[in-house]
Amino acid sequence: MGAVTDDEVIRKRLLIDGDGAGDDRRINVLLKSFTKWCNSPGTPDEGFTQYQRMMGILAQCEFSMGKTLMVYDMNLREMENYEKIYTNIEQNITSAHDKIAECKKEIQRAKRIRKNRQEYDALAKVIQQHPDRHETLKQLEALDKELQQLSHIKENVDAKLELRKKQFHVLLSTIQELQQTLENDEKSDNDENIQGSPAQNGE
Amino acid sequence: MGPVELLHMSVFSQSFSPCGRFLAAGNNYGEIAVFSLSAALSPDATAQSQKPVLTFSAHEGPVFSLLSNDCHLLSAGSGEVSCWSWAELIKKNTKPLWTKRPNYKSSLEIPEINSMTFNSRDNSLVLAGGDNNVHILDLERGLFKSVLQGHSDYVHCVSVRGREGEILSGGEDGAVRMWDSRTGQCVHCIEVHKYESCARPQFGKWISCVTTDSDWMLCGGGPSLSLWHLRSLSPTSIFPLIGCQRQTSFYQDMILAVGDGPAVSHCLLGGEVKAQIPCSPQSLNTLQLNTNSTDYRVLTVGGSSDHIDVFTNLSYRTFSFSF
Repeated sequence: MGAVTDDEVIRKRLLIDGDGAGDDRRINVLLKSFTKWCNSPGTPDEGFTQYQRMMGILAQCEFSMGKTLMVYDMNLREMENYEKIYTNIEQNITSAHDKIAECKKEIQRAKRIRKNRQEYDALAKVIQQHPDRHETLKQLEALDKELQQLSHIKENVDAKLELRKKQFHVLLSTIQELQQTLENDEKSDNDENIQGSPAQNGE
Repeated sequence: MGPVELLHMSVFSQSFSPCGRFLAAGNNYGEIAVFSLSAALSPDATAQSQKPVLTFSAHEGPVFSLLSNDCHLLSAGSGEVSCWSWAELIKKNTKPLWTKRPNYKSSLEIPEINSMTFNSRDNSLVLAGGDNNVHILDLERGLFKSVLQGHSDYVHCVSVRGREGEILSGGEDGAVRMWDSRTGQCVHCIEVHKYESCARPQFGKWISCVTTDSDWMLCGGGPSLSLWHLRSLSPTSIFPLIGCQRQTSFYQDMILAVGDGPAVSHCLLGGEVKAQIPCSPQSLNTLQLNTNSTDYRVLTVGGSSDHIDVFTNLSYRTFSFSF
């Protein structure tokens, strides 16, 4: 315990003495010159100059004390300032953290959207390879019309065919009937001739 | 693990823990290593924090697929699925909770399980098998409830369309098949290599990665990586990436793809490649995003090296875990 406090004391004294380029020494010199002045026999003039000198040293001491007080005030104010800046920066850090989290969410959203867009693009590419629906419909209509025309023509041809068939049928059946009639006539002629000759022979 | 083994190591699969603080990675020697993300990303991380906190041997063959749900880590290797508890793994207890094997027709050769995914609709696990089938394991009862047959060569990858309850599977035969999860029928079959715009005959017709977000599907492998619109079953964008892509995923408005070539490709849905971020392995097999934790949102990639690159910002590699 004793060693620690000794160290502290030594450190404090060194600190204080190191400050102000020998303020402590000045006070000692002042004390010594004061006692010398009180006990000096010399002339009043000398005494007066000695007195002036001592006042000067005292003023110097007071001046350095004032300076130290001001420095102390300044340090206190600087500390306050730094505290303020510190809290400010901490707030900025937390708000930056929040912004980062927000941005990360945004990125996720944007990535999903990009993925969807790319999927659409990929499907669109495939769809583009297939022909347009309007064109195909038009082609289908044209084909339908052609089909209709062709079936119309087929019907006409069929009807004509039927008509010709019937006409030929009429013609052929008339020819056949005529043939039949001619054959019948021939036959009846022959029969008459045969009947006629036996009748002649029988007389 | 000698230096020669480290040189020949490939990381095939990764999975983040449900709390988001640990990463499990499986390699071709059948080991699973658990890395601590929280230690590696903390301000006082050392070189030691980039080493695993736990390494154990999980399967006899390579660990092709790792998957995590709320409290379990599922790993699939050559022919079997094992389940581990994350809580136990964090306490360094490496006893599996269960190990199951799908019913394989032939008992001579054991086909491997290439990929797994959860079907949350009916709490089941979908396995892509090397026996050309997709097996479905009911997690509630622990039994294999159905087998989806239709592929003519082994199935590389599976993915689930949450909204419609469909399972998509991509295989070596170049077909992406869509199955209805309730009836087990194949609803659609897309032969990607038959579309001229996607096909790359110089690489083949195999499909090594399929991923979907219900309306769109990404698939790639031998043919170029392409974005498909599932309603119309038509390819909308082809990505001009050199090399075959082994894993892709949708991330916000971008597509991330890894495959041949020492870079992670960032692409836009329109078909342009926005950026290619270099990484340390020469070719990459697996890509995972940590969506389970807001503090450690990282992207990790692993491939044909014993290093797993970690990206805290998608634009550059931050550091690497090593086995």
